[in-house]
Amino acid sequence: MSAPSLAGDPVVRRPTAPARLREGLTGPVRGVLKEAGELAQFSGRAVLELRGVFRYSAEILRQVGILVTGSLVVVALMQFVIGMQCATEANYVLRGYGASAYSGVFTAWCGIREMGPYMWGYIIAAKVGCGLVAELGSMRINNEFSAMESLGINPMRYVVATRLMACIIAFPMIYLVGLAFHMVANQVIIVDQIGEVSKGGWEGVHWAFIRPVDVLYSEIKIMAMGMAIVLVAMYYGYTAKGGPVGVGSATARSMILNLVLIHVIGSVLTMVFWGLNPASPVGG
Amino acid sequence: MEAATLAPPTLPQTPTEPSTPPPDKKSSSGLAAVLEEIAAMLLLVGQAARASVTRPFVWRDEFIEQTFLIIRRCFIPVVISTTFFGLGAPGIQGGNITYIFGTVDRLGAFFVMASVREFAPWINGMVIAGVGGTAICADLGARKVRQELDALAVLGMDPVRTIVVPRFLALGLVTALMNLVAIVFGLVGGWIAAVPVFGDTSAGYLATFSSNFTLPDLLGSVIKTSLFGFIVAVVCCYKGMTVKGGAEGVGRAVNQAVVLSFVGIWAFNFVFTTTMLAAFPETGNLH
Repeated sequence: MSAPSLAGDPVVRRPTAPARLREGLTGPVRGVLKEAGELAQFSGRAVLELRGVFRYSAEILRQVGILVTGSLVVVALMQFVIGMQCATEANYVLRGYGASAYSGVFTAWCGIREMGPYMWGYIIAAKVGCGLVAELGSMRINNEFSAMESLGINPMRYVVATRLMACIIAFPMIYLVGLAFHMVANQVIIVDQIGEVSKGGWEGVHWAFIRPVDVLYSEIKIMAMGMAIVLVAMYYGYTAKGGPVGVGSATARSMILNLVLIHVIGSVLTMVFWGLNPASPVGG
Repeated sequence: MEAATLAPPTLPQTPTEPSTPPPDKKSSSGLAAVLEEIAAMLLLVGQAARASVTRPFVWRDEFIEQTFLIIRRCFIPVVISTTFFGLGAPGIQGGNITYIFGTVDRLGAFFVMASVREFAPWINGMVIAGVGGTAICADLGARKVRQELDALAVLGMDPVRTIVVPRFLALGLVTALMNLVAIVFGLVGGWIAAVPVFGDTSAGYLATFSSNFTLPDLLGSVIKTSLFGFIVAVVCCYKGMTVKGGAEGVGRAVNQAVVLSFVGIWAFNFVFTTTMLAAFPETGNLH
């Protein structure tokens, strides 16, 4: 766009076309790499600060309490909704293959392996992640971190590491509760609403396709997603600047990165855990 | 900041703001507050719908600007997200199921369900809500905090007509368009699973996909995502325009807006899909 030249503007030589092309191509890459480096540095510091974090165990417990009271209900509700969704599609899709009796395969894998973790990622990114950006961002805007530093409290430990530790403590259990709601919803739809498969038929197949180790893999998946989300969110909150607008746009930027990270982590871990060995007790 | 210098004579308090949606009373609590909020959002929908079909159409320039902005912000996240999701969940796991049945080429048919009916619409909705919606909410919240919305009202401009309507229409249009992008890249992810990973043929994948891909599926997908866009627009505009407090207020509003949009998208998605499957049972057939 050609901006009207301001009076008294010194004559600036416009860069040549190749230089502009080069800048246009490398600029975004450089920006992304710089931000990734800062994010990695922040994450590394946050993880290192975990060593001495238990001196603030009261703060950790308070954060765990906030996570449980604030996020458990919405996680359980959304897992219930996605459980209904999985079960509906399971029945309709496998009916097309003439295998409604195997709806349990679909629900077992949908819940534990894929949609449970993804749904977890979405909700944690929205509820916990955006909340952390807003909280830490407004602390940064109000210079609370500087105040803590001048009082001799390390905000990376007192604010960031305590929240990280609280998430490490609370996430696996919140997820398990959500997963239970997911499977209740599966049964409600398949057995009670659609009613094409009997309760015994559904349960037999469903549980036959879930190994205990799958639950462990699922937990690893959600912890990987959860840690990535929380660290990204706290990075954007910790480095927010520019008043109320800055906090809002930091939230928006953290969501971009979080949504991409959720899908990349989910897909990569699926390939790692189940790509080579589908672990399906059928056939040879 | 600058508002102080811009208004030397103290303006008389405008007695009635022209149809500003935010009812600033937050006295009630619990269920009543939730119902009140939903009612206010529906009111905003009504106002926006009326303003978008009546003259003057002052929202046209802003509409184009917002459309471009949302597409620019959301395109790359949508592409990455749907490709990886298509490869992981329906690709590898769905491939595992079809592998049990000995028909990996049916993965194409599976992707009609997976990509067109399910994950392309809602990943697209999530990204639009998480990226476009949060940006809109933050923008409107900042305007509210800086009292720009009040300034607009003082100038006699209707904030619904000038600010909400363009975003409303832009989100409705862009979400439906991005859905097509999401479907295509979801299919690319599925192709990566079917052909390089499971060693099936491209022809088998594409043939089962195209023979199962029906018009109700596509129309349902597009209509659904367009409605997702409206849900996101209403929630984010409402939350942005009713921000209270400073930086914390904006952050909290964005947080609530994105959670509410996600809940709205998922609840609506379930209702819509169930209704569509019941109304068009032939979409569940395998051809």
